[in-house]
Amino acid sequence: MISLESFSIYIILCVLAPLIGAFTLLFLFIFEKRIDLIEKEKKEIAIERELQMALYNQLNQEIQPHFLFNTLNSILSLARLDRKKELVYSIETFSKLLKFKYQTNTNNITVNDELTYIKYYLEIQKTRFRDRLFYEIEADEDVHQALIIPFLIQTLVENAFKHSFEKHIGEAFLKVTVKKCSQSIQVTVWNSANNQAIDDYNEVGIGLENIKARLHLFYSKETTSINLLISETGTTVVAVFPYITKE
Amino acid sequence: MNKQDYQFYISGAIKLGVSFGIVSLLARWVTGNTILSSPETLLKYGMVGGIGYSLMGALSLILFGMVAKRIRQSFPHHLTIGDVLRQKLNPSGYWYMICILLITSLDSIFVQAMGAAILLHIVFPIPIYLGMLLFLFVCFLIGGMGGMQRIHQLASVNVTLIFAAVIIIPVYFYIQNGVHPVFEGIKLYHPYLLYFQNTDAMLFIMTAILIGFGQVIIDRSTWQRVFLLKPAKVQLTFTLAGFIWMTIPLALSSLLMIIIYSGSYDNITSLLFELINRIQTTLFVFLFILFCFSAISAAISSELQATTVLIVRNILQVFLSLTNRDKWNLTYLTSGFICVLLLVVVSIFSPSLLELLFFFGHMYASLIIPMLYIILSKGPIHSIIPFSSLIGMIGGYAFISVVGNFTAIWISFFISGTLCSIVWIYTIFNNHFNK
Repeated sequence: MISLESFSIYIILCVLAPLIGAFTLLFLFIFEKRIDLIEKEKKEIAIERELQMALYNQLNQEIQPHFLFNTLNSILSLARLDRKKELVYSIETFSKLLKFKYQTNTNNITVNDELTYIKYYLEIQKTRFRDRLFYEIEADEDVHQALIIPFLIQTLVENAFKHSFEKHIGEAFLKVTVKKCSQSIQVTVWNSANNQAIDDYNEVGIGLENIKARLHLFYSKETTSINLLISETGTTVVAVFPYITKE
Repeated sequence: MNKQDYQFYISGAIKLGVSFGIVSLLARWVTGNTILSSPETLLKYGMVGGIGYSLMGALSLILFGMVAKRIRQSFPHHLTIGDVLRQKLNPSGYWYMICILLITSLDSIFVQAMGAAILLHIVFPIPIYLGMLLFLFVCFLIGGMGGMQRIHQLASVNVTLIFAAVIIIPVYFYIQNGVHPVFEGIKLYHPYLLYFQNTDAMLFIMTAILIGFGQVIIDRSTWQRVFLLKPAKVQLTFTLAGFIWMTIPLALSSLLMIIIYSGSYDNITSLLFELINRIQTTLFVFLFILFCFSAISAAISSELQATTVLIVRNILQVFLSLTNRDKWNLTYLTSGFICVLLLVVVSIFSPSLLELLFFFGHMYASLIIPMLYIILSKGPIHSIIPFSSLIGMIGGYAFISVVGNFTAIWISFFISGTLCSIVWIYTIFNNHFNK
């Protein structure tokens, strides 16, 4: 049989328990919004920092001097050959590309904007690669206004040039597909380089890890994925993330 | 959201955060059963039983929180348990589960209504049916007509009243009289309550946890709340709701000590309501009555709303092509019919609530593994899964006379669990060899 002391402790516990429960509830009512706000701010800061890092990487690594010099040389050759129309078009496209690159500082942009930027980039590469380069961009009608993290497709396309097309001679095929699958968006970037051509997996891996980290900051881990598939017919990167529109 | 849309009746207009989610779950789960069965448990199994009853509710909600997270992720566009069952089961399995849900729903509302009837009988000197008519009409207005929006509007008031009563009354009494006379009184009249070494109580606690979890996992209104919570907050909400809920039966058991310390008792079912005669202050009597009515009416309203949604959305809508207007009309008719049925049934039957809980315990226990299988499995489900609960139930009932009620409940659980495990292993092998 329990003693008076134990009984008293039991009663104190029973009497105090609902007080603790009520205080917990009250605490949640008062502070839940603030906690949410702090978490949101924390996440936003992390995203912002990640974006800055991504931009930094873009500017330091991806607009590499050799890309800049090659592009300028291509433009110079157009001037020397007096192909004025093509020259004007190239300078104009190059200017738009740089403008987009330096002005994008939001956390997300529309797929449409990202694809426009890719087109500028590919147009410039076309002046360099000329008849060697064939590219195709396909996007479902309803994905144009969907949101995407900036430079996601761009990183994948630049990887294709950096690790495949620039390293071997011959025809270069590139296909970008953006489609909606249920409540997700699937971005597929395929290039014709086979596994022999990719000689620096680590560097490709770092690029993909960067995208993966940025995707996880925006969406839950379960809803995103990024996969690199290498086959004899070419190299494919598939990125999947939730479908969210601007509204 | 358009208020004319039937989804408004099912879900209301807001997504719930942690705090309001807890309030909504507390309003649903502090029920007539909590008020009436927890004292019954204390008296049958002593203080261990009282603590065990609290643990049962807390663990049930916490365990369901883990499953609820998966439910929210796997079925983001559904609104009710019926929607999920319809997606996962073949027609025979679906209709079987709907029948089970309907039976448990009616049982659950009936238990609440019983509680209300007992309270009305003690408090007001008017015929029970008249009091019940008024009480059920209020529930009809809140749950039957108002829907989730109205239930949530009143949930905060309900929870405030619950906490006000369970905090103020025990504190007031124990400060005024002290613990010593209560201890001496219980030692004199009910010494068995003070023994901790009670092996029966351990089996009771384990079985109660099983039944509690079974009750929560097939509770229509709790599933509706899972789909209302913000996905990232589902598990946390259920876990905290479990812990906070636990404090209420504990406080009620301290209230019960106040009632029984000065003598014997006549009716175990209505014991807690005897408090009305023990409290001297009119304000506290009023507060206690409000607490009881508020808890029971919130639970009945939630159950009524969820059962009506089950009937209209998951039964009638399968056969009939219904417009929004039709659904609203059918909702009023269905909830009205349930209230009338309750009025009639409550006037006729009066079983022991704890016995009723354990009678349906077989059903709840045998449904746990099949429900977990339905929730966690990814592919199509074998038709035997839902029916394994029926086999488990029959098996359990068959053994009652041999092994007793508690062990038979575990038998129900193990039979359905074993069947589901066999189907699971068979499916794995089948898929492996088909590849």
